[in-house]
Amino acid sequence: MLKLLARRARAQWPLLAALLTVVLVGPTLLGACVLLVTRTADRALETAAARATTGEIEVTAYTVTVRGPDARSVAADTRTVLTSALAPFPSTTSTRVSSAMRWLPAARAGKNGVPAESYLSAVQDLPARARLTAGRWPQPTTDKTATGTAPGTGTATTGTGTTETGPTTGTTEQKAETTGTGTEADTTGRGREPGTESGTGTGTGSGTTGSGTTGSGGDGAAAAAGGGRSGGGPLEAVVLEPTARLLGLTPGSRVHLGAELSARSAPDVDVTVVGIVRPLPGSGWDRDPLAAAGYDLAYRDGRSQQPVHAYGPFIVDLADLLAGGSTIDRLEIIARPDLTTATVRDLDTVTGAVRGADRRLARTLGDRVQIERVFSRLPATLLAARAQQQVTAAVVLTVAVLGIVLTATALALAGRLTTGVRAEETALLSALGTSRGQLAAVATVEAGTLAVLATALAIPASSALHAGLTHLPPLAGAGLAARPEVTAAQVAAVAAGALALAAVLVIPAVRPAVAPGERRQRRELLARSGADLLLVAFAAAGWWQLYAQPAGSDTGADAVRVLAPALLLTAGAALALRLVLPALRGAERLARRARGLVLPLAVFDAARRPQAVAAGLLIGLACAASTFGTGFDATWQRSQQDQADLSVGTDLAITLDALPVAGQGAAVRAATGGTATPATDRGIAVGQWLGNGGEAPRLVAFDAAHAGTLLRGRLDADRDWTDVGAALAPPAPAVGVPVPAGAALTLTGRTSGGTPLTVTPRLLLQDATGLRTPCTGAPTRLDGRAHPLPACATAKGLRLVAVSLPFKADEAAQERTGISGTVTAPKNTGDDSGDRPTPPADTANESSDTSDAATEGDGSGDALDVPPSGGSGIGVAVTLTVAGAASAGSEPGSSWTATSAAPFPGALATPAVALSAGSAGTTLRMTTSVERRGHPDAARTLVATAFPVPGPVPAAVSARFAGETGARPGSRLSLTVGTTPVTVRVTEVLPTVPSAPGAATVLADLDALSRALVVNADLDFPVDAWWVGHPTHPDAAARATALRLGPVTTRAAEAARLTGGPLRAGLPAALRLLVPAAVLLLLAGVVLHVTFDVQVRALEVARLRGLGMTRREIRKVLLGQHVGVLLPLLAAGAAVGALATRLVAPLLVRSDTGAAPVPPVLPVWPWAAEIVLLALLLAGCAVAVTVVVTVQARRADAAHLRVTS
Amino acid sequence: MNSDLPDRDPARVTTDGPARVSADTAGAPLLTVRGVHRRFGTGATAVHALRDVSFDVAAGTMVALVGRSGSGKTTLLNIIGGLDRPDAGSVLVDGTDVTALDEDGLSLLRREKVSYVFQTFGLIPVLSAAENVGAPLRLARVAAQERERRVELLLELVGLADHAQQRPGEMSGGQQQRVAIARALAASPRLLIADEPTGQLDAETGLAVMALLRGVVESEGVTALVSTHDPVMIALADRVIRISDGRIEEQPAEHPGEQTPERSGERSYDRSDEQIHSGSGERSHDRSDEQTHEQSGERLRGGDIS
Repeated sequence: MLKLLARRARAQWPLLAALLTVVLVGPTLLGACVLLVTRTADRALETAAARATTGEIEVTAYTVTVRGPDARSVAADTRTVLTSALAPFPSTTSTRVSSAMRWLPAARAGKNGVPAESYLSAVQDLPARARLTAGRWPQPTTDKTATGTAPGTGTATTGTGTTETGPTTGTTEQKAETTGTGTEADTTGRGREPGTESGTGTGTGSGTTGSGTTGSGGDGAAAAAGGGRSGGGPLEAVVLEPTARLLGLTPGSRVHLGAELSARSAPDVDVTVVGIVRPLPGSGWDRDPLAAAGYDLAYRDGRSQQPVHAYGPFIVDLADLLAGGSTIDRLEIIARPDLTTATVRDLDTVTGAVRGADRRLARTLGDRVQIERVFSRLPATLLAARAQQQVTAAVVLTVAVLGIVLTATALALAGRLTTGVRAEETALLSALGTSRGQLAAVATVEAGTLAVLATALAIPASSALHAGLTHLPPLAGAGLAARPEVTAAQVAAVAAGALALAAVLVIPAVRPAVAPGERRQRRELLARSGADLLLVAFAAAGWWQLYAQPAGSDTGADAVRVLAPALLLTAGAALALRLVLPALRGAERLARRARGLVLPLAVFDAARRPQAVAAGLLIGLACAASTFGTGFDATWQRSQQDQADLSVGTDLAITLDALPVAGQGAAVRAATGGTATPATDRGIAVGQWLGNGGEAPRLVAFDAAHAGTLLRGRLDADRDWTDVGAALAPPAPAVGVPVPAGAALTLTGRTSGGTPLTVTPRLLLQDATGLRTPCTGAPTRLDGRAHPLPACATAKGLRLVAVSLPFKADEAAQERTGISGTVTAPKNTGDDSGDRPTPPADTANESSDTSDAATEGDGSGDALDVPPSGGSGIGVAVTLTVAGAASAGSEPGSSWTATSAAPFPGALATPAVALSAGSAGTTLRMTTSVERRGHPDAARTLVATAFPVPGPVPAAVSARFAGETGARPGSRLSLTVGTTPVTVRVTEVLPTVPSAPGAATVLADLDALSRALVVNADLDFPVDAWWVGHPTHPDAAARATALRLGPVTTRAAEAARLTGGPLRAGLPAALRLLVPAAVLLLLAGVVLHVTFDVQVRALEVARLRGLGMTRREIRKVLLGQHVGVLLPLLAAGAAVGALATRLVAPLLVRSDTGAAPVPPVLPVWPWAAEIVLLALLLAGCAVAVTVVVTVQARRADAAHLRVTS
Repeated sequence: MNSDLPDRDPARVTTDGPARVSADTAGAPLLTVRGVHRRFGTGATAVHALRDVSFDVAAGTMVALVGRSGSGKTTLLNIIGGLDRPDAGSVLVDGTDVTALDEDGLSLLRREKVSYVFQTFGLIPVLSAAENVGAPLRLARVAAQERERRVELLLELVGLADHAQQRPGEMSGGQQQRVAIARALAASPRLLIADEPTGQLDAETGLAVMALLRGVVESEGVTALVSTHDPVMIALADRVIRISDGRIEEQPAEHPGEQTPERSGERSYDRSDEQIHSGSGERSHDRSDEQTHEQSGERLRGGDIS
């Protein structure tokens, strides 16, 4: 038997080589896919981790309220916990510390008797986070031996291992002199500080002495500022520009900070200002207690109902602060691992360790801190990467299964043809007494040999194919290029695939041969029909499983998802094949009418010869698979693009780290060259509803007037975002009053009868991009004097669009004058007859003593006319003057409206506003009557706006929002924006809202929303991002990033991430593998079939020549016959591919998390690509058929006649 | 009489059939073969299938070409029909030098002047009997109506009018050969070449086919050159040309010559094996059969499949 095999192999080596080639395709494809889902997937995970942004992998430990003596050890231990959690990866740490608030002497900061506070802060790498505008950076005043090992001063890689040599007990007596006031404050502090000092430190600074006593506990008395600093002297500090400006600080200024406002109050501390700095955006200043604003004139420290003035921080050296004994209010340590050499195993280790770091930190720190917490997105990032990996793997496996099915189909054809070729030999062997078992054994041995050979060849071939694939886009672009490699999983898969496929060859060899042209037996036809029905049933069940799969996350590569496409395509191809024969018979009827012989004979051959469609299933399936692969690729790409569009919501988005400042929009516009507008994207409450499943409803607000330019994302047919925006935008823009850059703004107010009232004015200024920034003045007495407001006009092109005047009783003045203007002690100084009020000159004059900034009124008597008091009200007139501006309402839309703000609109009567222009500038005069009734703390706020009082804010809602709340067009809803309720009216329901895909979202115009907030006395402009439409600069993203305003996201980058990111690139790569594999198998099948067909018909061809047909005519007949079969088969395959693209492809596309993508996937049939593909297939088939037919027609000569005759 | 035979004289149904031999050309040679040589292979292994073959065939006669297997009959017929080319010599069919024609000219010759009847019938399996008969008419682009009429007449001529829609696989061997004859007559050829037309038929059916051929020659004036081993067919021929070892040994038709196994009524089933072992004198036969076996082997091995 082996001898027979050997001889047959020698004689039929071309046939065996052809079989081996076909067998080779499947395992090679399978091996490459296995490498894609194993090695490349792992490498993708590692690459994704290495490419992750800092925010995605950094680990931050927050500790709150650390006693001064424990600060250093807490910092050291925290750092150790973080670095050990990130092991084995090296990591760098950075530390940010803020002390508890301290009193700031009134002489320096106090205004109008409002208490002032300040605090110390330290930031590692300060020069990288701020720009020095004057002076120098602070130097550590702590002794080098103390700071050299101090935690937090350097970059740690695996922990610092600081050794505390003992606590220092010290007594410090400070004598500090605050500059400018002449006020002295003597403070004695006692404390025991765990320091690194091993002896007694004696301060050598001015008036400061300190001594330390080594101890072993952490509960010693703090040595205050100098206690732990052997260098002694005041701390060196830099301050932010606004702080310096408001406190009048310059380099060299010395500031005395009073005792801490904490339970364990640390003593006073002196600091010397050595420099002025300007914070750099995007460097973490948002976590500063005052968000790096430098001051907050309405700071609420939680100690009283009344706001205080807060200034700061005084930024000192980190080691000084940690060692200085100050109570640490916030200690934040960020560890950033270096994942550039990550391995999957290490990443898994880190994921678990970081998850447990919170508990570990709590155990480590114990009661040394009040609150501790470890936060990191690293585990979530890695888990999300794993999920993406699995989603990609599922599709790659789908492709592999398709490839195997295709190969099996090709092999079934090859096996049938081989059996036909060997029919005579088999008959001879049978005649010689060879049993079917022996024939089966021969076939099995031959197939097994082929499988072994195929395995041996497919292993290096799949490695090479995989390596080649990784060097092509998109894998190469994702950084996944790899050299050829062999893995155990690959070898196992290749061997299993080769054996399974070789088994396909055995089946036809052991079945009784069916001679070409022989009519099929009825039983066989029934079996085929039954198999078709079974296949269709399985395919239908698979499709239903896909269709009914949950929309939620499901990353598993379940069998249905992997097998269903292959089942569906096979069933479709089988059904299409059943339709091709009737179609050919229809063509046959038409062909009979032809006059010549060539066409009818070709069609008759195609329609009547059963063997003519022997390769039909392979051709149809391969064509379907290749067209489906192309369509699926386009569908997937389109879906990723849609997802990117919708998730970003606009062309370029900058998510702000901090509140924007006026004029920022101009910088964004200049950097990007596009239409830049502020936008809101945040969670809200809708009435009492906070969302479902822990997912809060979202509010997205933007400049709806530019909706068409800004918004991206697929919308329903026949509509665009311009239509949506038109229904949301206010009818007219708010023009307001121009405020030239640097213009002085003054506020003058009077009350009827001199009733002492104060107002804390808030102005809302709008820049050219629509950004509105509030500017809050200090509480100002309505004393008839002109009070300058803070420097609100910080940028060009600003316009004042709203003023909020919350009136309060002036308690301090009441105490001094005995005049009570509060509602609890009404003192009506006017009468109902409308007497003109008397200017409260006395009160004003008195208050001017403590308000060195106040100046006498400008004598504008008209402006200060106080309306008469009415009933229990106090007449109030407030004039806001914008110097240098000249606007008196001549501009369209510049009319002003005054209103009494919610929630107590009845607290003010007859609010009015008038705009006038004069030589001094533009004057806004606001009058009202403040009701005395009601609770004294109830808001009595006059709001003047450059727009009419708006009604409900028009808003569109997402379909999910509508579904969960029952909202419909026309519905009214109450949203809570910040703390202010806003009524919105639903204008329409959208499938989904840009930037909030799939979320329950309300989409509104930001201007309209702001107007609604303003009339509710909420002048905070809800801005979270900058949205830029149509950026013109090619490097707009880089330029925007350089602004350091926050993370920059672009549609293009998001789309690139989704389509070409390391974790996703495997999917299009696999699809692009499927298409050429299908084409290759199709062509191989065609060549095999045509060769066999023409060969067995050689005698027939010779007889045609005998009939007088020329070789050309014979070629035409043969070509026509094969083209007549190929064309409908290719068309049917393409139809099946198109149908599968429409029905299956959308169900296979999943999002990062394995959930159904948002927006829903639209099937894409890329006509151009498909036509090119089909043209290539046709051309390939035509070339293959032509070559074979030409060769065979040439061979069909008299020799065949001689042989047969 | 065999039931496959037509129950009437075929000549009567073909009065408007193929071209006839005109009176002035009657007796003139329709086929002239001069000095034809055909050799297969080169050097020491060369096989001389035909050696200086020369003869004439008068128009309207039926000539039997007789010889043992491997004697060169089929080679000679292929050269006459333009399916093969001689190494030397010339063949004139109705005044046309076949050896000077190119491929298209040869095809035209076969389409218009020469028709074949093969031993294995040579019907196109996917076509019905009527379609097979109509194939030459389609090649000649005869109008559909005329084609159908002619096909009907021809099928009637061969007695298969009732089997017009049957395909070859559904007919007996005799029926298939009659269809082949009808097809050969369809294009009104001047020369009908039949290569052992009864070789695969039983004696009775073969006799019917021979009678049909004889009738056609007489009624249609067609010149027939029939390669055969069958003594009945030889007896029906106007003339017998014996070929042996590639050489012509002609005998007058009135005296078919010495008795051969074929003439004694025995069917000749000369196997190539016998000839292969018949000695050096049968060299040409050996080579021809070896070639046949080689080609069969190639087909058996499917060596061309790739």
